Amino acid sequence: MTGKSDGRMRLTVLGGFLGSGKTTWLRHQLHRGLFKDAFVVVNEAAETPVDDALLGAASRLAVLAGGCVCCDGKADLIALLRKICDNRSGFDSRGPRLEGIVLETSGLADPGPIVEAIRGDPVLAHHIVVGKIAVAVDALHALSQLRSEPLGRRQIETADRLIVTKVDEADGPALKRLLAALRLINPGAELIGAVKGSEAALPPFDSVEPEVLPDLSGDAGRPPLFPARLAIDETIDWTAFSVWLSALLHARGDDVVRVKGVVRTPAGRLLVQSVRKIVQPPEILPEQTGGPDREDNTIIVIGRGYRAEDLRRSLHHFAGARRV
Amino acid sequence: MCSACGFPAAPGHWTEAGAADAPDRLRARFRRAQVLQSVLAAYGLTAHDGAQVPGIQISTLSGDHTMARDLAEVWVTAERLAGRAVDPLDPRFTGGGKEEN
Repeated sequence: MTGKSDGRMRLTVLGGFLGSGKTTWLRHQLHRGLFKDAFVVVNEAAETPVDDALLGAASRLAVLAGGCVCCDGKADLIALLRKICDNRSGFDSRGPRLEGIVLETSGLADPGPIVEAIRGDPVLAHHIVVGKIAVAVDALHALSQLRSEPLGRRQIETADRLIVTKVDEADGPALKRLLAALRLINPGAELIGAVKGSEAALPPFDSVEPEVLPDLSGDAGRPPLFPARLAIDETIDWTAFSVWLSALLHARGDDVVRVKGVVRTPAGRLLVQSVRKIVQPPEILPEQTGGPDREDNTIIVIGRGYRAEDLRRSLHHFAGARRV
Repeated sequence: MCSACGFPAAPGHWTEAGAADAPDRLRARFRRAQVLQSVLAAYGLTAHDGAQVPGIQISTLSGDHTMARDLAEVWVTAERLAGRAVDPLDPRFTGGGKEEN
């Protein structure tokens, strides 16, 4: 994290599939004081950013929303990084000198093209040295992702460090098969375990047979995952919304890979997040004191196999009947 | 518990997190049964929650019934009793137009 050897800033890339625990991990590291003098860049494929609300401990933070930086948002990322470098070199940088950059990619990003773009940029190459690529791997869902998502495999292949998250919730033998498979896919990567961002021990897996993964080379015809942004009408109360979302995840949990958003309820602003069929216990977020810059009552649904307008129509059926 | 992350979160099924206090929770239960009733009618089912015992009772028109602990279980139960998939993107789910009082 020092990058002091030649004066260039060290860039840490934090990747991982949708819902793999990237933000949770980063949030905990920031809380511990790691990346203290780093600029945190968060990329979200959807137009409505959510993760930055959780990263209040970062001293300097920017959000690139509405495009994945490994493809259509790449130019925005390069422009932002150049600006960060400019500010650091110029006289207008305030506070402690910037020592590094942490880039949290969207769950749909392949870290490979991002690193290539940064290394290939004639300006950034003199200011930024790409350090570790850390990739979060969800101990609960990674096996199914590796079986069906080529992107999930590419993310793991590019990692220097694999952070296996949620290890406390995973089934022991399956976790060992996953670890063996990770070792097979990327033998060079450092493997660490994590629970809610804190480091956790991984079980020994040397004698375990890795999960057998199907060949996905002919899988290119599968429709890509896409983010859909849904505004929750103010007349839809939490109960109606939770009835609808629970039914959606029940019926379409294999297609709906990720849901996240902030919903207003009598209990406060609830952060709702799901990974496939599993919904995290909603977390109550503090009320905002600043301007109305964040969009409450908006959720992002990332998945495939349906049309965004069908989701909207279905949810909107519950509008106009608020009673609680 | 990590003070930065706010874990652990509130107990119970995630759908029950929106209520601020006990009266709110009770109101939310009645309201949940009401919303479910409006959805499940199209599948020939009824939903009832008298708030006396935990859970929601799902019944067929012929009187067969099962208790479901939470919303996740409601959908599994409803599919079994109705003999068909319950999918919010299927017009049947929203087929009744706006829910009625």
